[in-house]
Amino acid sequence: MPVLVVPDKAKPLNIPVFQSRIPKPEELVVLDKPLLEATLEVGNLLKDCKAKWALAGDIGEILNGVNIQPDHLTILTNVAGCEEISKKLERFQVVASRHVETQIRRNAEVEAKPLPVMIKSYRSQFNLRGQRLNVHGDLRIKVGDWDWGDPLDYEPEYVYVIGVKVPVIPLELKTQLYRGLGWYDRVSKIHAAMARRHHKIV
Amino acid sequence: MSTVIQETPVDVVCLGVGFMSGVVATELALAGNSVVGITKGPYWDYVNDYSTTKYDEWGVGLGRKYDSPLPLQSTTIRNDSSQFALPVRRYTMPIQYHALGHGVGGAAQHYGGGMGRFGPWAYEMAKRTSSAYGAGFLASINPQDDTHDWPLTYAQYEPYYVEWEKAHGICGNYNGSPTNSSSDVNYPWMSQNYPLPPHPMTPLAQLFQSTVQGMTAPNGQKYNPFPSVSALSSQPYTNQYGVAVNPCVYDGYCGGLCDYACETGAKANAAYRTIPAAIKSGNFTLVTNAYIYRLELNPSGNQVVAAHYYDAQGNDHRQPGTVFFNGMWGYNMVRLMLLSGLGTPYVYNSGTGTGTGTVGRGLTNGYTPYRGTNVSGTVNIGGNSYPAGNGSGGGVSVFDLMDDNFSHTNISPPFIGGGLFGAGGYLGGGPGNITFAGGVSAPNATNPNGAMGSAFKVTQQNKYLPTKQSVGATPFAPDLPTFMNYIDLDPHYTDAYGDPVSRLTYDWTPNTYNGATYLVNQIKAILTQMGATSVTVGATVAPYSAHNDWWGHHLRGGLRIGTDPNAGTATAWAALSGYNQLYYNSNTSGFNYFAAGEITNTTGNNATAGTHAAGPQSYRAAEGIKKYLANVATNVNYLSS
Repeated sequence: MPVLVVPDKAKPLNIPVFQSRIPKPEELVVLDKPLLEATLEVGNLLKDCKAKWALAGDIGEILNGVNIQPDHLTILTNVAGCEEISKKLERFQVVASRHVETQIRRNAEVEAKPLPVMIKSYRSQFNLRGQRLNVHGDLRIKVGDWDWGDPLDYEPEYVYVIGVKVPVIPLELKTQLYRGLGWYDRVSKIHAAMARRHHKIV
Repeated sequence: MSTVIQETPVDVVCLGVGFMSGVVATELALAGNSVVGITKGPYWDYVNDYSTTKYDEWGVGLGRKYDSPLPLQSTTIRNDSSQFALPVRRYTMPIQYHALGHGVGGAAQHYGGGMGRFGPWAYEMAKRTSSAYGAGFLASINPQDDTHDWPLTYAQYEPYYVEWEKAHGICGNYNGSPTNSSSDVNYPWMSQNYPLPPHPMTPLAQLFQSTVQGMTAPNGQKYNPFPSVSALSSQPYTNQYGVAVNPCVYDGYCGGLCDYACETGAKANAAYRTIPAAIKSGNFTLVTNAYIYRLELNPSGNQVVAAHYYDAQGNDHRQPGTVFFNGMWGYNMVRLMLLSGLGTPYVYNSGTGTGTGTVGRGLTNGYTPYRGTNVSGTVNIGGNSYPAGNGSGGGVSVFDLMDDNFSHTNISPPFIGGGLFGAGGYLGGGPGNITFAGGVSAPNATNPNGAMGSAFKVTQQNKYLPTKQSVGATPFAPDLPTFMNYIDLDPHYTDAYGDPVSRLTYDWTPNTYNGATYLVNQIKAILTQMGATSVTVGATVAPYSAHNDWWGHHLRGGLRIGTDPNAGTATAWAALSGYNQLYYNSNTSGFNYFAAGEITNTTGNNATAGTHAAGPQSYRAAEGIKKYLANVATNVNYLSS
């Protein structure tokens, strides 16, 4: 370990100098302000929501310490929840609830083969001061020509956003999903977050 | 000759990068200003620097490997101005067992995390005391009294408290509210709840809570217990800057005599709450392992133009800036100003018992006297006492024996204020190396069998899985500012670079001891009601019969903010009077705070050296700096706005 050099003294003092590294901006888990404010607003407006819901997607992960930068908000709920949330966020709604089936941008990697990933859900879309919010009711996933999976179910975990208690999808469930899709880069990001927390790696 | 390196001018230069600079740097960087933060230590990465190396009682507790190295810079201490001050050469009891910080996050990298707001009384201590007990009361109980009120009231600081608590994820419930409801607000009132819930209560805390809820406090009302306030995050958290925070894992290596660093970043400090957002903004530059030794003034002597610092390789840097924020540790802040010729140095006149000047004036202590009147007992609590835990959670506190929440009329000996009292902190908050090592002893005259092998194991079993717990307190009332306690430059001892170190002239004032005489009996009543056995009040310790012989990190004072320029060093915006572009954080305001007491056997609730009260001032300073930068070109006197 290097020691301190004092000007105009020939002999360095035997004071250790820790050379720890200053983190780069991209290494820090910091949520952008517009999305943070939108999250806070959603948390407040859905505080009394009776249906089970949770922030999912990238936003749910960064709130749990995963180093990922979301570009929108996602909520996972059921059909009744989608209806209830649509009422509570009515003034922000830009696309009414309806059943939608789409292919997501990233393929699954199964046994080194890329397979398209389809999702279908009862879906609403909102715009909270420029931030997009997608609400999925009873989201189901289909990989390649496999059968559709059951609607995703979960027991939410809770995080606090500036004092507002917000449900999020458990990282353990996200890890299982990513493993199934072969997205091991995302598994690694979650593992890194869990390691920083000293929680067991799932 | 060392190399002189001229750095690029910036809008704001933060001197030191602890709690307070973290707020100022982040607020200003996010507002689009260029900011540089300079700290004499490293950036501590909790994953790589603490995960495996912090479980080292010898290195952390005795070697103090994470702390400010004393060979680089220390201080000298004496009890009164007639003595020769001696330097602090090592971090051990009784000189200094709580170590000072080093690097980003400062001392908050390894504190217990106990928090607590100051109440309204603390901000108007002089006025309220005079009103309640007569104009001459304060002077009659505090020799060479130098008490002044803050320039702002609690109500004016309250919004800044809220911001600071949000930034750092403070855990608790509405103070004094058993229902955690804003409609059931006790003391001090809060406009918003703490952003995180409290940590789980221990059995002892629950016993304390249920006991005092049924007891009448000295003010004739029932006690109002509430979960102890902590800066160790109880849940996953994201603050107003978007910084994601990990929760506490209750590993047990947190507080205690070592005051361990946190390997998950759950322990609130600038490195893991504010500075990440500053770095992410792209407007902030962090300079580590850099020792600031001077502030350079313009030829007129009324503006700071650059900070001078040495890097670890011995190069000499000049960092110019428009605004400078001094967020160093208390007496380092005073020392830098004295070394740089900023402000009017305080000079004590022992003949008259008064003083002149302001820089260094009003040194006080926020911690219990090393030897004070105490009370102790034993509570049978069963076997579950939370052998793990953290440094400041799990307990329950009351404000009912603090400030002027009870009448001080006809109490003898007289005093003002009181203490925050709590019980039930986690037993395993942190192993103390000295206590731990002390548990092992060879056979000796008093202990013929020694305490080794199986005897030592029994000791440890009783320590972490006890059926009975010792409870006790050495309470005290606020240490009041007096002309005789102060900071100046030592004429004999220097730092590694040859500059004088700070000299602390300090002894506890009578108010601390006199308060203890009254408070121990209140606590004795609580302990008795809790079912404690062998409740004993120790001999009364008279003022000045036990002297300060340590330089704790709970010492504060020396740079006062106030409206009277003859007594205070800075304005209500925390700008140095006469130097509107030098701001500092008056953690050290030596005229207002509350003292702490404790009836817990593991943690104290002593508001972590006043950090919780200093925090709002950092937001106040940030606001003042923004106003200054917005008006600097037009030379508008923003202070009047």
